[in-house]
Amino acid sequence: MTLENNFIHHSKEYIFLDNETLSNHRENTYKKIFQKNYDRKNNESLKNITISDVSKFNYFYKPTKTNPTVSLIDDLNYKIKLVDGICKNYEDEYIEIRNITNLDFKIFLNQVNNNLDDIIIDFNKIFLNSGIFFNIKSDTKLKIRLVHDTSENFTVFQNNFINFNKNCEVQLEDHFNLTNNSINNINYNIHVDEKAVVKHNIFQNFRNSNKLYLTSNSVCEKKSSYHQNTYNFSEGFVRNFHHAHLNGEYSNASLKGCFFLKNKNICSNKTNIIHNAVNCVSDQTYKGILNAHSKASYYSNTFVSENAQKTEGYQLSKGILLTDNCSFFSKPELRIFADDVKCSHGSTIGPVDESALYYLRSRGMSKNEAMKMIISSFIEEDLLNLDKNIAKEISNNLSDYLKSLSND
Amino acid sequence: MIFLNINNLNVSIEGKKILNDFNITINEGEVHAIMGPNGCGKSTLANVLAGNEDYEVNSGKVIFKDEDLLDLNIEERAQKGLFLAFQYPVEIPGVNITPFLQASINSKLKNEKKPELDNLSFAKLLRKKAEELGINTDMLKRSINTGFSGGEKKRYEILQMSVLNPELTIFDETDSGLDVDALKIVTEGINRFKNPKNSFLIITHYQKLLDYIHPDHVHVMRNGKIVKSGDISLASEVEVSGYQNF
Ligand SMILES: Nc1ncnc2c1ncn2[C@@H]1O[C@H](COP(=O)(O)OP(=O)(O)OP(=O)(O)O)[C@@H](O)[C@H]1O
Ligand SMILES: [Mg+2]
Repeated sequence: MTLENNFIHHSKEYIFLDNETLSNHRENTYKKIFQKNYDRKNNESLKNITISDVSKFNYFYKPTKTNPTVSLIDDLNYKIKLVDGICKNYEDEYIEIRNITNLDFKIFLNQVNNNLDDIIIDFNKIFLNSGIFFNIKSDTKLKIRLVHDTSENFTVFQNNFINFNKNCEVQLEDHFNLTNNSINNINYNIHVDEKAVVKHNIFQNFRNSNKLYLTSNSVCEKKSSYHQNTYNFSEGFVRNFHHAHLNGEYSNASLKGCFFLKNKNICSNKTNIIHNAVNCVSDQTYKGILNAHSKASYYSNTFVSENAQKTEGYQLSKGILLTDNCSFFSKPELRIFADDVKCSHGSTIGPVDESALYYLRSRGMSKNEAMKMIISSFIEEDLLNLDKNIAKEISNNLSDYLKSLSND
Repeated sequence: MIFLNINNLNVSIEGKKILNDFNITINEGEVHAIMGPNGCGKSTLANVLAGNEDYEVNSGKVIFKDEDLLDLNIEERAQKGLFLAFQYPVEIPGVNITPFLQASINSKLKNEKKPELDNLSFAKLLRKKAEELGINTDMLKRSINTGFSGGEKKRYEILQMSVLNPELTIFDETDSGLDVDALKIVTEGINRFKNPKNSFLIITHYQKLLDYIHPDHVHVMRNGKIVKSGDISLASEVEVSGYQNF
């Protein structure tokens, strides 16, 4: 279906229909895309995406027999299941989670906007049909596993708000359980209050027919930290665009990711860290293994504003290309307006080191085994500081991926 | 059984001829040494025997344990009992020594249809061998050769040899870069490892190593072939007057 048809026929699902400001804004956004009134050539948000692919889709959103849950796996260890973007409204002394309603328009008006040229975020605004408001109360120490179930053919346009309040210490896991043929355009607004410590691990492992566009904007206040890791084992298209704002002094953020591509898989990645305060540290590292005809891109960006002295910022991209037919485009960028900063970026992308392969094989290991050992070593360091269960899950996914390589 | 026979081997790299009708025969239990000026093709010989695919074998034959060695790939040669201690061991960050060596020995055992070693018995074996060679067991937790000093890399090659227990070991300048004490430990290690079934091809620039190891044959190599063979006295000749007389 065309963009126009979708817009006209599915306007009722829009959450903020009653709010004039947001509705107008939405209308304008729609017009901008419809009239192709945006930068089409150098638009990072469209890297590895064709606009006609994203604008022509079968909008379908009828969450009827949904069954979202909130359960406790353990003490202070939650499992929260969202179904088609909907959660079960729940509150206890540690957390509060609920679906957003049109009464929440104020938080929408106030959300950090770093996505001015992001067409995917424009689509998220135009078709917004779900969202959750998630509050983690202060001084709590929790583990949360957030499972996103999306039914067949569903198009979920979701905008979520997570507040990590003062002094909380949280390990948040996102799992995407997509069935078939779904489109998931999900935007996170994450606020990390003073002295809060957040580890956010995101698992993406789903089949070819699904698409996931995941965007996040996090804001760190004084002495807080936000560490995000994405693990992308998906056959379906994934876009990871993540922005972190260091607004409070002595805060730090890392946006890291690993992806494992085969066949004709495509992924598009971007990270962006904005230093707005003194004495902050940031790290952006994406690593990928690419096989067959797969394709990846990674933009990284460190912005240091003029008052963000004593900034430390690192950027790195690493890739192993297993065939001559895959490609990994990487573009690091630094924009620095303060003078007392330490920033660096690096990039190493290429085939498996032949001399390493020779060394391992010369001790009797088969080529396949040697290859696997080198590939596993590639993410070895990323597994070191992880919770045992998570590390196990990743290494299971990794061995599945490695198995698939030998079948090619 | 023919243990190792190299017959009129011609090898080139990027069109440049390096080995030139090279011949040698090594029998079971023998220790051979090859000396020769820089660039004469010693490492080329070692790498061609190990199966390095960068080199082009233009003609000639290599029989190892009655089989055509050149028909085998890199790992098959290792599994059949060939081991090369590299002149420049490569650093492989992230690949830990212990699982790497365990996987190596197990692929060999598997090939010989013998039971594989479990983690515990392998760890024991590795620790024992490391202690024999004066290698700090802390090193066994590290990534392959990563950040090792020149001498540490060489010692670690010897450790791999003693764990994998090969029948033919090629040392490519394993003595270079070792301090006096390390040289002693390494040669003791080699001597302990020597038995009527194990053979060695030792590539070296120095007589010192040969004094400790007592090779059965010493060869001088120039321009891709052996130009003179003899006993240990040949090494002293090289030591005194260099290669111009050969
Ligand atoms: N990849 C290559 N491309 C071109 N020439 C090469 C290559 N590798 C080796 N050679 C050449 O082959 C010749 C033999 O090299 P080799 O390493 O076998 O010498 P060597 O006898 O081991 O010397 P050394 O005593 O210095 O270790 C040298 O002239 C060298 O430059
Ligand atoms: Mg050499």
